[in-house]
Amino acid sequence: MIQQSTSLLQRIAKTHLALTLGLLGCSFLLSAQAEAGEKYAVRAGTVHTLAGDAITNGVIVIEGGRITAVGSADDVKIPWDAEVLDVPHLEAYPGFVEAHTSSGMDRPNESVAVAPFLNVRDSIDPVAFYFEDCLRSGVTTINVQQGNACIIGAVGMVVKPRGMTVEEMLVRPRSGLKISAAPKSGMSRATQAQTLRATFTGLRTHLEDLVQQKRSGNDYSRREALYQGRDLSGERGKGRAMMSKGWTVEGLELVPRGEVDEKQEPLLDLVEGRIPAWIYCGAPMDVRLALEIARDNGFLGRTVLVLDDSCWKAADLIAEAGVSVVLDSTLVRTETDPKTEEEEEVFIPGVFKDKGIPFALSSRNSSTESLWFQAAMCMAHGFTRAEALAAITATPASMLGLEGKVGCLCPGAAGNVLLTSGDPLSVTSFVEYVVIDGNLVYDRSTDIRTQHLLEGVVPEGTESHAEEPEVEEDTRKKAGDEGGSR
Amino acid sequence: MIWTPFLHAACLTLCAPPLQDAPGAEPQEPEAPKAQPAAAPPADLRLHAERVYTGTGEILKNALIEVREGKISSLRPGRSAPEGVPQVKAITAGMIDLSARLHSNFNSVEQSTEVQPHLDVAGSVNLYDKRFARLARTGVTTILVNPLDRNVIGGRGVALKTHGPMEVEARRLKARPILRGAIGSEPSAANHAAFGRPTDFYSRRPTTRMGVEWEWRKAFFDAVAAKRLPEMDFPGAEDLREALAGKRTVMIQAWTTQDIRTAVYLDEEMQREGFGDLDLVIDAGAEAWKEPAMLVRNSTIVVLPPHTAGGRIGSDGAFLAWNTANQLVEQGLTVCLSAHGAGPGPATLGHQAGFAMRGGLSFDQALAAVTTAPAAVLGLSDRLGTVAEGMDADLALWNGRPFAATSRVTGVVIDGTVVVNPR
Repeated sequence: MIQQSTSLLQRIAKTHLALTLGLLGCSFLLSAQAEAGEKYAVRAGTVHTLAGDAITNGVIVIEGGRITAVGSADDVKIPWDAEVLDVPHLEAYPGFVEAHTSSGMDRPNESVAVAPFLNVRDSIDPVAFYFEDCLRSGVTTINVQQGNACIIGAVGMVVKPRGMTVEEMLVRPRSGLKISAAPKSGMSRATQAQTLRATFTGLRTHLEDLVQQKRSGNDYSRREALYQGRDLSGERGKGRAMMSKGWTVEGLELVPRGEVDEKQEPLLDLVEGRIPAWIYCGAPMDVRLALEIARDNGFLGRTVLVLDDSCWKAADLIAEAGVSVVLDSTLVRTETDPKTEEEEEVFIPGVFKDKGIPFALSSRNSSTESLWFQAAMCMAHGFTRAEALAAITATPASMLGLEGKVGCLCPGAAGNVLLTSGDPLSVTSFVEYVVIDGNLVYDRSTDIRTQHLLEGVVPEGTESHAEEPEVEEDTRKKAGDEGGSR
Repeated sequence: MIWTPFLHAACLTLCAPPLQDAPGAEPQEPEAPKAQPAAAPPADLRLHAERVYTGTGEILKNALIEVREGKISSLRPGRSAPEGVPQVKAITAGMIDLSARLHSNFNSVEQSTEVQPHLDVAGSVNLYDKRFARLARTGVTTILVNPLDRNVIGGRGVALKTHGPMEVEARRLKARPILRGAIGSEPSAANHAAFGRPTDFYSRRPTTRMGVEWEWRKAFFDAVAAKRLPEMDFPGAEDLREALAGKRTVMIQAWTTQDIRTAVYLDEEMQREGFGDLDLVIDAGAEAWKEPAMLVRNSTIVVLPPHTAGGRIGSDGAFLAWNTANQLVEQGLTVCLSAHGAGPGPATLGHQAGFAMRGGLSFDQALAAVTTAPAAVLGLSDRLGTVAEGMDADLALWNGRPFAATSRVTGVVIDGTVVVNPR
């Protein structure tokens, strides 16, 4: 199993990721590393699975990167050869899930306005500080999507904040296509809307042209595909009738899928429902356009709206469309009555909760915008603990098609465990350890940045003068060891 | 969720019901002419809380608070909530922010000269500014408004409630006078060196930290000299002499450790010269953690700026470690917290208290840093900062444990008026 996964990854690294995974049908990938084959167990004071009652004196067993057993220490036997993290003073929670972010990329936006052929995998920087910071805040699953300044952006991917290459970080490739219903800078709303519509009309025209060429015996598209070195073997060499809930092109089965222009292919995947859409709305008025585009092109059922905080006003429209939303980190919005100038504070997650719209919180990992802090704010505004935690675990997991795989501590899920000093929604609690896929990847006691922030400890190597060289030597040695274990 | 502004206290007042637990409250004959028992007049406002954190280290459980004429008239634990009385989880005293930064713009300080100790910022306070109401909504009931730190010595600050009469003099609290100034890059930020012909008065103002420091020393030296030589007298000299005599608190903004050092050395120089002893408060003292011994030696009070995710804050790039408040309190220093106003973002003064607890401060100390400590700086400990009989009825009503990220201020009372209705 592990061998297979490893070889799969190697193949992905060698061949074109998008093409390979189109065939795999976006199956959940267990990106196994060498050490993931090892067995790992956590014994914690309380295990909060978020999929049932909390377990006192609980044990989590992780094999091959996935959780194989969770339960009370009396019931679950730890394999004799498992490495054990024994922390009876700590509480275990599943890692939090970031439903949508444009952090961790070299640059979040592309100047080309319609660029569905791009993939964020080419832009993700595995050593970005953001990913390190995710561990401190307990975020272990991250959906990286292009920024909002686009018309149609790149294909995104789900990663974990661990690994020195994008392939190592991979959790799920092709997690969706980014679209913006809000005007890209320099464009009017009308141009944005027209270009969006025209892009899908363009796809349709392209497909119809291909069918027409095949029918008239013209072999141009095949020769072009071969000239570009595209893969036309296996499934790629076969045609398939178009499967869409929106419009359709008769006779597409005549066209081998490998002959569809690479620049158009992610759009076709979107229209045929193979990948979801993440549509940014910068104002309530953008919601209508976003829903129109999704509805007309048949991917409404696979659409998540990424909302600016002003978009709460369009909540009825969103509820009617039945889509999920990702909120931005401004949870309380102040609206001013234009006549009386009186201010009204709107608690945005509350609006969506009341309308029954599934929503995920999103963070920028600052003190007041971390997922845990936002979930805590939801509780301050009357949410139950379960509702607040769901917005940073189960709900985003299900938006990413990873329900039961991340965001809970249950058998079959990724072995992503946070060990916190107390309630993770309390200001006085800390993430002490983070385990990802059964590997200990974060230990607060060796986190120099947190020590600097919390205790004013000057990071090693930045002191203006060394007073006790012997002590310094010790610290350096320790820091070196810790670097190795990462 | 919806804020009801200026809700009158009457909305929450019961129609003068007999107090259930008033002693001697027995049915009276309607025509009985005999003297009524000396019962207190009905309360203007009654509130019930599962816990009242009085600020004196005491927690009163199931307490009933009565307010009459803007003051807390009674505070009784162990009571059940009478019908119709608003019930909340917790009540603390209204919070006090000594660095509210509600200046309207650059005009909030007179810049024609860099030392203006005699000017009062009250003249430039805009009570119609929505930030007063925003602060009130977060449970901040008293603020100190200071001149903008574009001058070396900007003038006198004014302590105000965040809700009340719409006239500064009517709302002004009789607080200990505050003289406000700054050390660091800000007082000289807009000034420039004169190359060739000076083009405007900013070219004769200090352009460096050393220039700023010199202005401070010169101001105090001149003020002392003017006492002997009346012809040297200048506007504000008396304010400076009062500061030297300890009759006026000197609040200096100093973010970095080098600027904090300058402020403390200034005070120590004045003591050495026999000019007096400043009652020094460092505002925005982010780097106070670096050299706390200096502050201990001089018993300096520190107002900390808001905690940030990366630690860096302010134009001088100071680094505020999250355990600063705890570290200073452990060394016996008085620490006040500030959210620097009602800026965008959710980090209210209550959250700052929580963040200081994340840095190790105990709950009681965190409560003190936003209530009793700033009240003492203002010299208003007899009116503000604690929940006790006779104190101003300035209350923050919480829906859970105060300062927890999972709770918030849901109701606010200022001078007995319900400014934010908890229901």
